[in-house]
Amino acid sequence: MTKANGSGSAAARQVAMVFDLNKCIGCQTCSVACKVLWTRDEGSEYQWWCTVNTLPGRGHPKDWEAMGGGYREGVPQPGRRPLREEWGGGWDFNYDEVLYGGKGQSVYLHPIGEEPKWGPNWDEDQGAGEYPNSYFFYLPRLCNHCTKPACVEACPQGAMYKRKEDGIVLRDESRCQGHQFCLEACPYKKIYFNFVRQVSQQCIMCFPRVEQGVAPACVRQCPGRAVWFGFMDDEAGPIHKLVRKWEVALPLHPEYGTEPNIFYIPPIGPARLNEDGSFDESSPRIPTDYLESLFGPRVRPALETLQTEMQTTRNGGKSELMDTLIAYWWKDMFKPFDRDPADIQWVEQR
Amino acid sequence: MRAVKLQLATKTLLNSGAFQWKKVPAEELRMAGARVDLQPSRYVRTVWAGRPVGAVRNLKVQTAHNSRDILFRLEWPDESKDTDFGDGSVFPDAASVIFPLKGDAPLETMGSPRSPINAWYWRANFATDEARNRSCQGYGTEEDSPERQVQARARWEDGRWYVVFARPLSANGKTNVKLSSAHPAKVAFAVWEGSSQERGGLHSCSRQWLDLVIE
Repeated sequence: MTKANGSGSAAARQVAMVFDLNKCIGCQTCSVACKVLWTRDEGSEYQWWCTVNTLPGRGHPKDWEAMGGGYREGVPQPGRRPLREEWGGGWDFNYDEVLYGGKGQSVYLHPIGEEPKWGPNWDEDQGAGEYPNSYFFYLPRLCNHCTKPACVEACPQGAMYKRKEDGIVLRDESRCQGHQFCLEACPYKKIYFNFVRQVSQQCIMCFPRVEQGVAPACVRQCPGRAVWFGFMDDEAGPIHKLVRKWEVALPLHPEYGTEPNIFYIPPIGPARLNEDGSFDESSPRIPTDYLESLFGPRVRPALETLQTEMQTTRNGGKSELMDTLIAYWWKDMFKPFDRDPADIQWVEQR
Repeated sequence: MRAVKLQLATKTLLNSGAFQWKKVPAEELRMAGARVDLQPSRYVRTVWAGRPVGAVRNLKVQTAHNSRDILFRLEWPDESKDTDFGDGSVFPDAASVIFPLKGDAPLETMGSPRSPINAWYWRANFATDEARNRSCQGYGTEEDSPERQVQARARWEDGRWYVVFARPLSANGKTNVKLSSAHPAKVAFAVWEGSSQERGGLHSCSRQWLDLVIE
Protein backbone atom coordinates (compact mmCIF):
# COMPACT_ATOMS: atom_id res chain seq x y z
CA MET A 1 0.00 0.00 0.00
CA THR A 2 1.36 3.38 -0.89
CA LYS A 3 1.43 6.28 1.47
CA ALA A 4 -1.54 8.62 1.48
CA ASN A 5 -1.16 11.12 -1.34
CA GLY A 6 0.03 14.58 -0.53
CA SER A 7 0.53 13.83 3.14
CA GLY A 8 3.90 13.96 4.79
CA SER A 9 5.43 15.87 1.92
CA ALA A 10 6.99 18.57 4.10
CA ALA A 11 10.79 18.56 4.09
CA ALA A 12 12.97 19.10 7.14
CA ARG A 13 15.46 21.07 5.03
CA GLN A 14 15.13 22.64 1.63
CA VAL A 15 17.68 23.29 -1.07
CA ALA A 16 16.99 26.27 -3.28
CA MET A 17 18.42 28.22 -6.19
CA VAL A 18 18.60 31.92 -6.93
CA PHE A 19 19.09 33.13 -10.50
CA ASP A 20 20.18 36.73 -11.01
CA LEU A 21 18.32 37.85 -14.13
CA ASN A 22 20.65 40.84 -14.35
CA LYS A 23 23.57 38.50 -14.90
CA CYS A 24 22.02 35.78 -17.03
CA ILE A 25 23.20 36.24 -20.61
CA GLY A 26 21.01 33.52 -22.14
CA CYS A 27 23.99 31.41 -23.17
CA GLN A 28 22.12 28.15 -22.45
CA THR A 29 25.15 26.56 -20.80
CA CYS A 30 22.87 25.47 -17.95
CA SER A 31 20.37 23.98 -20.43
CA VAL A 32 23.09 22.08 -22.25
CA ALA A 33 24.84 20.96 -19.04
CA CYS A 34 21.54 19.40 -17.98
CA LYS A 35 20.79 18.04 -21.43
CA VAL A 36 24.02 16.12 -21.82
CA LEU A 37 23.79 14.75 -18.30
CA TRP A 38 20.17 13.63 -18.10
CA THR A 39 18.06 13.73 -21.27
CA ARG A 40 19.89 11.98 -24.07
CA ASP A 41 18.11 8.63 -23.87
CA GLU A 42 15.43 7.53 -26.28
CA GLY A 43 12.17 9.26 -25.42
CA SER A 44 13.84 12.17 -23.66
CA GLU A 45 15.27 13.85 -26.75
CA TYR A 46 12.68 16.61 -26.65
CA GLN A 47 13.00 17.13 -22.92
CA TRP A 48 14.90 20.13 -21.60
CA TRP A 49 14.62 19.98 -17.82
CA CYS A 50 16.39 23.34 -17.69
CA THR A 51 15.49 25.95 -20.31
CA VAL A 52 16.30 29.62 -20.75
CA ASN A 53 13.67 31.70 -22.48
CA THR A 54 13.55 35.29 -23.57
CA LEU A 55 10.97 37.39 -21.78
CA PRO A 56 8.58 38.84 -22.68
CA GLY A 57 7.83 35.71 -24.68
CA ARG A 58 5.58 32.70 -24.99
CA GLY A 59 8.08 30.37 -23.40
CA HIS A 60 8.46 26.61 -23.30
CA PRO A 61 6.08 24.91 -23.71
CA LYS A 62 4.36 27.50 -25.86
CA ASP A 63 2.05 29.71 -23.76
CA TRP A 64 2.55 27.56 -20.67
CA GLU A 65 1.27 30.26 -18.34
CA ALA A 66 -2.26 29.74 -19.71
CA MET A 67 -2.32 25.98 -19.05
CA GLY A 68 -3.56 26.03 -15.44
CA GLY A 69 -2.67 23.85 -12.47
CA GLY A 70 -1.36 24.82 -9.06
CA TYR A 71 -3.59 26.04 -6.23
CA ARG A 72 -5.95 28.88 -5.56
CA GLU A 73 -6.63 29.37 -1.85
CA GLY A 74 -5.32 25.88 -1.31
CA VAL A 75 -7.67 24.26 -3.81
CA PRO A 76 -6.13 22.34 -6.75
CA GLN A 77 -6.84 24.07 -10.03
CA PRO A 78 -7.54 22.21 -13.27
CA GLY A 79 -4.62 22.17 -15.64
CA ARG A 80 -4.00 20.79 -19.06
CA ARG A 81 -1.11 18.81 -20.44
CA PRO A 82 1.07 20.49 -23.04
CA LEU A 83 0.78 18.88 -26.46
CA ARG A 84 3.88 17.43 -28.03
CA GLU A 85 3.91 20.19 -30.65
CA GLU A 86 3.71 22.86 -27.95
CA TRP A 87 7.01 21.55 -26.61
CA GLY A 88 8.62 21.19 -30.02
CA GLY A 89 12.25 20.13 -30.11
CA GLY A 90 13.72 16.64 -30.24
CA TRP A 91 14.45 17.00 -33.93
CA ASP A 92 16.82 14.85 -35.94
CA PHE A 93 18.97 16.85 -38.33
CA ASN A 94 20.33 15.78 -41.73
CA TYR A 95 23.90 15.71 -40.42
CA ASP A 96 24.93 12.76 -42.57
CA GLU A 97 23.75 14.43 -45.75
CA VAL A 98 25.39 17.78 -45.09
CA LEU A 99 28.54 16.77 -43.24
CA TYR A 100 29.42 13.44 -44.82
CA GLY A 101 27.24 13.11 -47.93
CA GLY A 102 29.16 15.54 -50.13
CA LYS A 103 26.27 18.01 -50.22
CA GLY A 104 27.77 20.60 -47.92
CA GLN A 105 27.47 23.28 -50.60
CA SER A 106 24.00 22.42 -51.85
CA VAL A 107 21.93 21.27 -48.88
CA TYR A 108 21.41 23.23 -45.70
CA LEU A 109 21.20 21.75 -42.22
CA HIS A 110 17.56 21.31 -41.25
CA PRO A 111 15.39 19.05 -39.10
CA ILE A 112 14.24 15.87 -40.84
CA GLY A 113 10.49 15.46 -41.21
CA GLU A 114 7.75 17.92 -40.41
CA GLU A 115 8.62 21.61 -40.38
CA PRO A 116 9.12 22.63 -36.72
CA LYS A 117 6.61 25.16 -35.42
CA TRP A 118 7.92 25.63 -31.88
CA GLY A 119 10.88 24.67 -29.76
CA PRO A 120 12.59 25.18 -26.43
CA ASN A 121 14.00 28.63 -27.33
CA TRP A 122 11.80 29.56 -30.25
CA ASP A 123 11.21 33.26 -29.56
CA GLU A 124 14.78 34.05 -28.54
CA ASP A 125 15.65 37.74 -28.27
CA GLN A 126 12.31 38.94 -29.65
CA GLY A 127 11.27 40.68 -26.45
CA ALA A 128 8.96 43.69 -26.50
CA GLY A 129 8.87 47.48 -26.74
CA GLU A 130 9.88 49.92 -29.46
CA TYR A 131 13.37 50.91 -30.49
CA PRO A 132 15.31 52.52 -28.88
CA ASN A 133 13.46 51.44 -25.76
CA SER A 134 12.83 47.82 -26.62
CA TYR A 135 13.63 45.36 -23.86
CA PHE A 136 14.08 41.72 -23.06
CA PHE A 137 15.75 39.55 -20.46
CA TYR A 138 16.43 35.86 -19.97
CA LEU A 139 14.57 33.56 -17.62
CA PRO A 140 16.11 30.19 -16.79
CA ARG A 141 13.46 27.70 -15.68
CA LEU A 142 13.56 24.24 -14.18
CA CYS A 143 11.40 22.22 -11.80
CA ASN A 144 10.75 24.48 -8.80
CA HIS A 145 10.95 21.62 -6.26
CA CYS A 146 8.01 23.34 -4.63
CA THR A 147 7.31 23.37 -0.92
CA LYS A 148 3.72 22.48 -1.85
CA PRO A 149 4.30 20.33 -4.93
CA ALA A 150 1.01 20.03 -6.79
CA CYS A 151 2.48 17.15 -8.81
CA VAL A 152 3.11 15.04 -5.69
CA GLU A 153 -0.42 15.54 -4.46
CA ALA A 154 -1.92 14.85 -7.88
CA CYS A 155 -0.27 11.46 -8.41
CA PRO A 156 -2.79 8.69 -7.65
CA GLN A 157 -0.02 6.12 -7.58
CA GLY A 158 1.99 7.74 -4.79
CA ALA A 159 4.90 7.63 -7.25
CA MET A 160 6.11 11.13 -6.41
CA TYR A 161 7.60 12.37 -3.17
CA LYS A 162 9.46 15.25 -1.63
CA ARG A 163 12.66 14.22 0.15
CA LYS A 164 12.80 15.05 3.84
CA GLU A 165 16.54 15.75 3.87
CA ASP A 166 16.66 18.37 1.12
CA GLY A 167 13.17 18.94 -0.26
CA ILE A 168 14.05 17.62 -3.72
CA VAL A 169 10.93 16.39 -5.55
CA LEU A 170 11.42 12.97 -7.14
CA ARG A 171 9.45 10.26 -8.89
CA ASP A 172 9.73 6.53 -8.41
CA GLU A 173 9.56 5.56 -12.07
CA SER A 174 8.75 1.97 -11.16
CA ARG A 175 5.49 3.22 -9.64
CA CYS A 176 4.70 5.81 -12.33
CA GLN A 177 1.95 4.54 -14.63
CA GLY A 178 2.13 7.42 -17.11
CA HIS A 179 -1.25 8.85 -16.10
CA GLN A 180 0.20 12.38 -16.31
CA PHE A 181 -1.92 13.99 -13.63
CA CYS A 182 1.38 15.55 -12.50
CA LEU A 183 1.71 17.30 -15.86
CA GLU A 184 -1.77 18.75 -15.42
CA ALA A 185 -1.24 19.82 -11.82
CA CYS A 186 2.18 21.43 -12.31
CA PRO A 187 1.44 25.11 -13.00
CA TYR A 188 4.97 25.67 -14.33
CA LYS A 189 4.64 22.94 -16.98
CA LYS A 190 8.09 21.59 -16.22
CA ILE A 191 7.18 17.91 -16.32
CA TYR A 192 7.62 15.96 -19.53
CA PHE A 193 6.04 12.72 -20.68
CA ASN A 194 8.45 10.15 -22.06
CA PHE A 195 6.47 8.65 -24.93
CA VAL A 196 8.91 5.76 -25.27
CA ARG A 197 9.19 4.67 -21.65
CA GLN A 198 5.65 5.84 -20.86
CA VAL A 199 6.59 7.59 -17.64
CA SER A 200 6.63 11.25 -16.72
CA GLN A 201 10.00 12.87 -16.01
CA GLN A 202 11.37 16.16 -14.74
CA CYS A 203 14.44 17.81 -13.20
CA ILE A 204 15.81 15.71 -10.34
CA MET A 205 17.95 18.58 -9.00
CA CYS A 206 20.96 16.40 -9.86
CA PHE A 207 20.33 14.51 -6.61
CA PRO A 208 23.17 12.00 -7.17
CA ARG A 209 25.54 14.98 -7.34
CA VAL A 210 23.92 16.80 -4.42
CA GLU A 211 24.27 13.66 -2.29
CA GLN A 212 28.03 13.77 -2.98
CA GLY A 213 28.35 17.46 -2.14
CA VAL A 214 28.38 18.58 -5.79
CA ALA A 215 26.10 21.39 -6.98
CA PRO A 216 23.61 20.63 -9.77
CA ALA A 217 25.12 20.78 -13.26
CA CYS A 218 23.14 23.88 -14.30
CA VAL A 219 24.54 25.74 -11.29
CA ARG A 220 28.14 24.64 -11.50
CA GLN A 221 28.41 25.15 -15.27
CA CYS A 222 27.01 28.72 -15.32
CA PRO A 223 29.82 30.84 -16.76
CA GLY A 224 28.19 34.09 -15.65
CA ARG A 225 28.12 33.50 -11.89
CA ALA A 226 24.39 34.07 -12.22
CA VAL A 227 23.10 31.26 -10.00
CA TRP A 228 23.45 30.29 -6.35
CA PHE A 229 22.54 26.98 -4.74
CA GLY A 230 22.32 25.92 -1.12
CA PHE A 231 20.15 25.25 1.89
CA MET A 232 17.48 27.83 2.61
CA ASP A 233 18.11 27.57 6.36
CA ASP A 234 21.86 28.25 6.06
CA GLU A 235 21.77 31.78 7.45
CA ALA A 236 25.37 32.48 6.51
CA GLY A 237 24.79 31.35 2.93
CA PRO A 238 23.78 33.46 -0.07
CA ILE A 239 20.38 31.77 -0.58
CA HIS A 240 19.14 32.79 2.85
CA LYS A 241 20.60 36.27 2.46
CA LEU A 242 19.04 36.90 -0.94
CA VAL A 243 15.65 35.31 -0.28
CA ARG A 244 15.00 35.84 3.42
CA LYS A 245 17.28 38.61 4.66
CA TRP A 246 17.32 41.07 1.76
CA GLU A 247 14.10 39.78 0.14
CA VAL A 248 15.36 40.55 -3.36
CA ALA A 249 15.04 37.01 -4.72
CA LEU A 250 11.44 36.13 -5.61
CA PRO A 251 9.60 33.06 -6.87
CA LEU A 252 8.07 33.07 -10.33
CA HIS A 253 4.28 33.39 -10.24
CA PRO A 254 3.79 33.10 -6.47
CA GLU A 255 0.04 33.24 -7.15
CA TYR A 256 0.22 29.65 -8.42
CA GLY A 257 0.27 28.64 -4.77
CA THR A 258 2.93 25.91 -4.82
CA GLU A 259 5.71 27.89 -3.08
CA PRO A 260 8.59 27.38 -5.52
CA ASN A 261 12.18 27.01 -4.37
CA ILE A 262 13.75 28.54 -7.47
CA PHE A 263 14.05 32.29 -6.95
CA TYR A 264 14.95 35.21 -9.20
CA ILE A 265 16.60 38.58 -8.74
CA PRO A 266 14.36 40.77 -10.93
CA PRO A 267 16.06 42.46 -13.87
CA ILE A 268 16.80 46.18 -13.92
CA GLY A 269 17.22 47.11 -17.55
CA PRO A 270 19.42 49.91 -18.78
CA ALA A 271 17.90 53.40 -18.69
CA ARG A 272 15.41 54.42 -21.38
CA LEU A 273 16.59 56.81 -24.04
CA ASN A 274 14.99 60.05 -25.17
CA GLU A 275 14.83 60.86 -28.86
CA ASP A 276 17.98 62.96 -28.54
CA GLY A 277 19.81 60.03 -27.01
CA SER A 278 19.79 61.39 -23.47
CA PHE A 279 18.68 59.20 -20.55
CA ASP A 280 15.00 59.09 -19.69
CA GLU A 281 14.93 58.34 -15.96
CA SER A 282 11.19 58.90 -15.61
CA SER A 283 10.28 55.25 -16.02
CA PRO A 284 12.13 51.95 -16.15
CA ARG A 285 12.89 50.29 -19.48
CA ILE A 286 11.33 47.02 -18.29
CA PRO A 287 7.84 48.00 -17.09
CA THR A 288 7.45 47.29 -13.39
CA ASP A 289 3.86 46.18 -14.00
CA TYR A 290 5.22 43.49 -16.27
CA LEU A 291 7.70 42.31 -13.64
CA GLU A 292 4.89 42.33 -11.09
CA SER A 293 2.86 40.06 -13.38
CA LEU A 294 5.73 37.57 -13.15
CA PHE A 295 7.02 37.90 -9.60
CA GLY A 296 4.09 39.39 -7.69
CA PRO A 297 3.81 42.64 -5.74
CA ARG A 298 6.97 42.00 -3.74
CA VAL A 299 8.95 42.85 -6.86
CA ARG A 300 8.47 46.59 -6.14
CA PRO A 301 10.25 46.68 -2.75
CA ALA A 302 12.83 44.24 -4.14
CA LEU A 303 13.67 46.60 -7.01
CA GLU A 304 13.84 49.51 -4.58
CA THR A 305 16.25 47.62 -2.34
CA LEU A 306 18.45 46.75 -5.33
CA GLN A 307 18.51 50.39 -6.49
CA THR A 308 19.28 51.65 -2.98
CA GLU A 309 22.13 49.22 -2.45
CA MET A 310 23.56 49.93 -5.91
CA GLN A 311 23.55 53.62 -5.05
CA THR A 312 25.30 52.86 -1.75
CA THR A 313 28.19 51.24 -3.56
CA ARG A 314 28.24 53.98 -6.21
CA ASN A 315 28.72 56.38 -3.34
CA GLY A 316 31.69 54.35 -2.16
CA GLY A 317 29.82 52.52 0.60
CA LYS A 318 29.81 48.81 1.46
CA SER A 319 26.82 46.62 0.69
CA GLU A 320 26.55 43.01 1.76
CA LEU A 321 23.81 42.57 -0.83
CA MET A 322 25.96 43.89 -3.70
CA ASP A 323 28.94 41.82 -2.56
CA THR A 324 26.73 38.73 -2.56
CA LEU A 325 25.32 39.49 -6.01
CA ILE A 326 28.77 40.22 -7.48
CA ALA A 327 29.91 36.80 -6.20
CA TYR A 328 33.63 37.45 -5.76
CA TRP A 329 34.30 33.82 -4.83
CA TRP A 330 32.77 31.33 -7.23
CA LYS A 331 32.66 28.42 -4.79
CA ASP A 332 30.85 30.54 -2.21
CA MET A 333 27.89 30.47 -4.56
CA PHE A 334 27.03 26.86 -3.79
CA LYS A 335 28.57 25.91 -0.47
CA PRO A 336 28.50 23.28 0.97
CA PHE A 337 28.00 21.71 -2.47
CA ASP A 338 31.39 22.87 -3.77
CA ARG A 339 33.07 19.50 -4.18
CA ASP A 340 34.69 19.00 -7.59
CA PRO A 341 32.79 16.27 -9.48
CA ALA A 342 36.07 15.23 -11.13
CA ASP A 343 37.34 14.07 -7.72
CA ILE A 344 34.57 11.53 -7.33
CA GLN A 345 34.62 7.92 -8.45
CA TRP A 346 31.09 7.90 -9.88
CA VAL A 347 30.99 4.38 -11.28
CA GLU A 348 32.29 1.35 -9.43
CA GLN A 349 35.26 -0.24 -11.14
CA ARG A 350 34.52 -3.75 -12.32
CA MET B 1 -22.00 -15.91 -15.96
CA ARG B 2 -21.06 -19.30 -17.25
CA ALA B 3 -17.79 -20.33 -18.88
CA VAL B 4 -18.88 -22.91 -21.40
CA LYS B 5 -16.63 -25.80 -22.27
CA LEU B 6 -15.43 -25.93 -25.86
CA GLN B 7 -13.15 -28.44 -27.55
CA LEU B 8 -11.14 -25.77 -29.28
CA ALA B 9 -7.55 -24.65 -29.24
CA THR B 10 -6.77 -21.48 -27.30
CA LYS B 11 -5.28 -19.90 -30.40
CA THR B 12 -8.61 -20.35 -32.14
CA LEU B 13 -10.53 -18.70 -29.34
CA LEU B 14 -8.02 -15.85 -28.98
CA ASN B 15 -9.37 -14.72 -32.34
CA SER B 16 -12.36 -12.56 -31.36
CA GLY B 17 -13.75 -13.03 -34.87
CA ALA B 18 -13.79 -16.84 -34.67
CA PHE B 19 -17.28 -18.06 -35.60
CA GLN B 20 -17.28 -20.39 -32.60
CA TRP B 21 -17.78 -17.40 -30.29
CA LYS B 22 -21.22 -16.87 -31.88
CA LYS B 23 -22.48 -19.95 -30.07
CA VAL B 24 -21.25 -18.79 -26.67
CA PRO B 25 -23.91 -17.07 -24.55
CA ALA B 26 -23.26 -13.35 -24.12
CA GLU B 27 -24.03 -11.03 -21.23
CA GLU B 28 -24.78 -7.40 -21.95
CA LEU B 29 -23.42 -5.47 -18.99
CA ARG B 30 -24.50 -1.97 -18.08
CA MET B 31 -21.36 -0.15 -16.95
CA ALA B 32 -21.04 2.63 -14.38
CA GLY B 33 -18.49 5.42 -14.18
CA ALA B 34 -15.95 5.12 -11.37
CA ARG B 35 -16.71 7.21 -8.29
CA VAL B 36 -14.65 10.38 -8.32
CA ASP B 37 -14.97 10.88 -4.55
CA LEU B 38 -13.07 7.62 -3.95
CA GLN B 39 -10.06 8.55 -6.07
CA PRO B 40 -6.81 8.76 -4.07
CA SER B 41 -5.64 12.05 -5.62
CA ARG B 42 -7.11 15.31 -4.33
CA TYR B 43 -6.33 16.85 -7.71
CA VAL B 44 -8.45 14.19 -9.43
CA ARG B 45 -11.25 14.43 -6.86
CA THR B 46 -11.38 18.22 -7.21
CA VAL B 47 -10.93 18.59 -10.94
CA TRP B 48 -13.13 15.67 -11.97
CA ALA B 49 -15.97 16.45 -9.55
CA GLY B 50 -19.03 16.94 -11.74
CA ARG B 51 -17.27 15.72 -14.86
CA PRO B 52 -18.68 12.61 -16.51
CA VAL B 53 -16.62 9.45 -15.94
CA GLY B 54 -17.19 6.17 -17.74
CA ALA B 55 -17.62 6.90 -21.43
CA VAL B 56 -18.28 3.25 -22.22
CA ARG B 57 -21.75 2.38 -20.95
CA ASN B 58 -22.32 -1.07 -22.41
CA LEU B 59 -20.05 -4.07 -22.48
CA LYS B 60 -20.74 -7.43 -24.07
CA VAL B 61 -18.95 -10.30 -22.34
CA GLN B 62 -18.59 -13.98 -23.16
CA THR B 63 -16.51 -16.64 -21.48
CA ALA B 64 -15.41 -20.15 -22.37
CA HIS B 65 -12.73 -22.68 -21.50
CA ASN B 66 -11.10 -25.68 -23.11
CA SER B 67 -10.03 -27.43 -19.88
CA ARG B 68 -6.57 -25.92 -20.26
CA ASP B 69 -7.26 -22.17 -20.61
CA ILE B 70 -10.15 -19.91 -19.68
CA LEU B 71 -11.00 -17.07 -22.03
CA PHE B 72 -13.07 -13.90 -21.78
CA ARG B 73 -14.23 -12.09 -24.89
CA LEU B 74 -15.07 -8.41 -24.36
CA GLU B 75 -16.75 -6.17 -26.92
CA TRP B 76 -17.71 -2.53 -26.63
CA PRO B 77 -18.41 0.50 -28.79
CA ASP B 78 -15.66 3.13 -29.06
CA GLU B 79 -15.66 5.48 -32.00
CA SER B 80 -12.11 6.68 -31.34
CA LYS B 81 -9.42 4.06 -31.62
CA ASP B 82 -6.69 5.22 -29.23
CA THR B 83 -3.68 2.96 -29.50
CA ASP B 84 -1.08 5.27 -27.98
CA PHE B 85 -0.60 8.62 -26.22
CA GLY B 86 -1.04 10.48 -29.52
CA ASP B 87 0.07 14.09 -29.46
CA GLY B 88 -0.09 14.08 -25.66
CA SER B 89 -3.83 14.76 -25.49
CA VAL B 90 -5.12 11.17 -25.26
CA PHE B 91 -4.45 7.85 -23.55
CA PRO B 92 -4.53 4.37 -25.01
CA ASP B 93 -7.85 2.53 -24.60
CA ALA B 94 -7.74 -0.32 -22.10
CA ALA B 95 -9.76 -3.07 -20.44
CA SER B 96 -9.52 -5.32 -17.41
CA VAL B 97 -11.00 -8.58 -16.21
CA ILE B 98 -11.08 -8.39 -12.42
CA PHE B 99 -11.33 -11.07 -9.74
CA PRO B 100 -11.47 -10.77 -5.95
CA LEU B 101 -8.68 -12.75 -4.32
CA LYS B 102 -10.43 -12.96 -0.97
CA GLY B 103 -14.17 -12.87 -0.35
CA ASP B 104 -16.00 -9.77 -1.44
CA ALA B 105 -13.24 -7.30 -2.22
CA PRO B 106 -14.57 -3.76 -2.67
CA LEU B 107 -14.97 -3.35 -6.43
CA GLU B 108 -15.51 0.40 -6.34
CA THR B 109 -11.99 0.98 -5.00
CA MET B 110 -10.32 -1.88 -6.91
CA GLY B 111 -9.76 -3.87 -3.77
CA SER B 112 -8.32 -2.94 -0.42
CA PRO B 113 -5.23 -3.91 1.60
CA ARG B 114 -7.26 -6.64 3.31
CA SER B 115 -9.07 -7.74 0.18
CA PRO B 116 -6.80 -7.53 -2.84
CA ILE B 117 -7.92 -8.17 -6.38
CA ASN B 118 -6.33 -9.79 -9.40
CA ALA B 119 -6.74 -7.77 -12.62
CA TRP B 120 -5.88 -8.95 -16.10
CA TYR B 121 -5.05 -5.73 -17.88
CA TRP B 122 -4.86 -5.07 -21.60
CA ARG B 123 -4.01 -1.70 -23.09
CA ALA B 124 -4.17 -0.75 -26.74
CA ASN B 125 -0.49 0.19 -26.89
CA PHE B 126 0.75 -3.18 -25.62
CA ALA B 127 2.49 -5.56 -27.98
CA THR B 128 0.38 -8.19 -29.75
CA ASP B 129 -0.97 -10.76 -27.26
CA GLU B 130 0.55 -8.83 -24.34
CA ALA B 131 -1.47 -8.42 -21.19
CA ARG B 132 -0.40 -7.66 -17.65
CA ASN B 133 -1.35 -9.77 -14.72
CA ARG B 134 -1.77 -7.39 -11.84
CA SER B 135 -2.65 -7.43 -8.20
CA CYS B 136 -4.23 -4.41 -6.63
CA GLN B 137 -5.11 -3.36 -3.08
CA GLY B 138 -7.03 -0.19 -3.87
CA TYR B 139 -6.73 2.59 -6.42
CA GLY B 140 -3.18 3.46 -7.32
CA THR B 141 -1.61 0.31 -5.89
CA GLU B 142 -1.55 -1.97 -8.92
CA GLU B 143 1.53 -4.10 -9.28
CA ASP B 144 2.51 -6.46 -12.05
CA SER B 145 2.64 -10.02 -10.80
CA PRO B 146 5.67 -12.16 -11.45
CA GLU B 147 3.28 -14.76 -12.88
CA ARG B 148 2.73 -13.67 -16.46
CA GLN B 149 0.36 -16.30 -17.81
CA VAL B 150 -2.26 -13.83 -19.02
CA GLN B 151 -2.48 -12.93 -22.69
CA ALA B 152 -4.88 -10.77 -24.66
CA ARG B 153 -5.54 -10.24 -28.33
CA ALA B 154 -7.41 -7.18 -29.54
CA ARG B 155 -9.05 -5.89 -32.69
CA TRP B 156 -10.81 -2.61 -33.44
CA GLU B 157 -13.27 -2.57 -36.28
CA ASP B 158 -16.06 -0.19 -37.31
CA GLY B 159 -16.17 1.64 -34.00
CA ARG B 160 -15.93 -1.39 -31.71
CA TRP B 161 -13.17 -2.99 -29.67
CA TYR B 162 -13.00 -6.77 -29.47
CA VAL B 163 -10.57 -8.13 -26.88
CA VAL B 164 -10.05 -11.74 -25.84
CA PHE B 165 -8.19 -12.49 -22.59
CA ALA B 166 -6.79 -15.95 -21.83
CA ARG B 167 -5.10 -17.60 -18.86
CA PRO B 168 -4.44 -21.22 -17.90
CA LEU B 169 -7.16 -22.49 -15.57
CA SER B 170 -4.53 -23.77 -13.19
CA ALA B 171 -2.20 -20.96 -12.33
CA ASN B 172 -0.23 -20.91 -9.12
CA GLY B 173 0.99 -17.90 -7.22
CA LYS B 174 -0.78 -16.05 -4.46
CA THR B 175 -1.73 -13.11 -6.67
CA ASN B 176 -3.38 -15.39 -9.25
CA VAL B 177 -7.08 -16.01 -8.83
CA LYS B 178 -7.96 -19.70 -8.45
CA LEU B 179 -10.26 -20.75 -11.27
CA SER B 180 -11.74 -24.23 -11.58
CA SER B 181 -15.09 -25.92 -11.99
CA ALA B 182 -14.88 -26.88 -8.32
CA HIS B 183 -14.42 -23.27 -7.19
CA PRO B 184 -17.20 -20.69 -7.35
CA ALA B 185 -15.59 -17.41 -8.40
CA LYS B 186 -16.57 -13.81 -8.99
CA VAL B 187 -15.63 -11.56 -11.84
CA ALA B 188 -16.01 -7.92 -12.91
CA PHE B 189 -14.90 -5.82 -15.86
CA ALA B 190 -13.48 -2.35 -16.41
CA VAL B 191 -12.97 -0.32 -19.57
CA TRP B 192 -10.99 2.88 -20.18
CA GLU B 193 -11.82 5.23 -23.06
CA GLY B 194 -8.58 7.03 -23.79
CA SER B 195 -9.84 10.02 -25.75
CA SER B 196 -12.14 10.81 -22.81
CA GLN B 197 -9.02 11.16 -20.62
CA GLU B 198 -9.76 7.89 -18.84
CA ARG B 199 -6.80 6.28 -17.12
CA GLY B 200 -5.96 5.05 -13.64
CA GLY B 201 -9.05 5.10 -11.44
CA LEU B 202 -11.11 6.92 -14.07
CA HIS B 203 -12.91 4.24 -16.03
CA SER B 204 -16.22 2.50 -16.38
CA CYS B 205 -16.81 -0.68 -14.44
CA SER B 206 -19.47 -3.35 -14.20
CA ARG B 207 -21.77 -2.44 -11.33
CA GLN B 208 -21.10 -5.45 -9.12
CA TRP B 209 -19.27 -8.77 -8.98
CA LEU B 210 -20.82 -11.40 -11.21
CA ASP B 211 -20.89 -15.05 -10.20
CA LEU B 212 -18.65 -17.05 -12.46
CA VAL B 213 -19.43 -20.72 -13.00
CA ILE B 214 -16.96 -22.84 -14.90
CA GLU B 215 -18.57 -25.85 -16.61
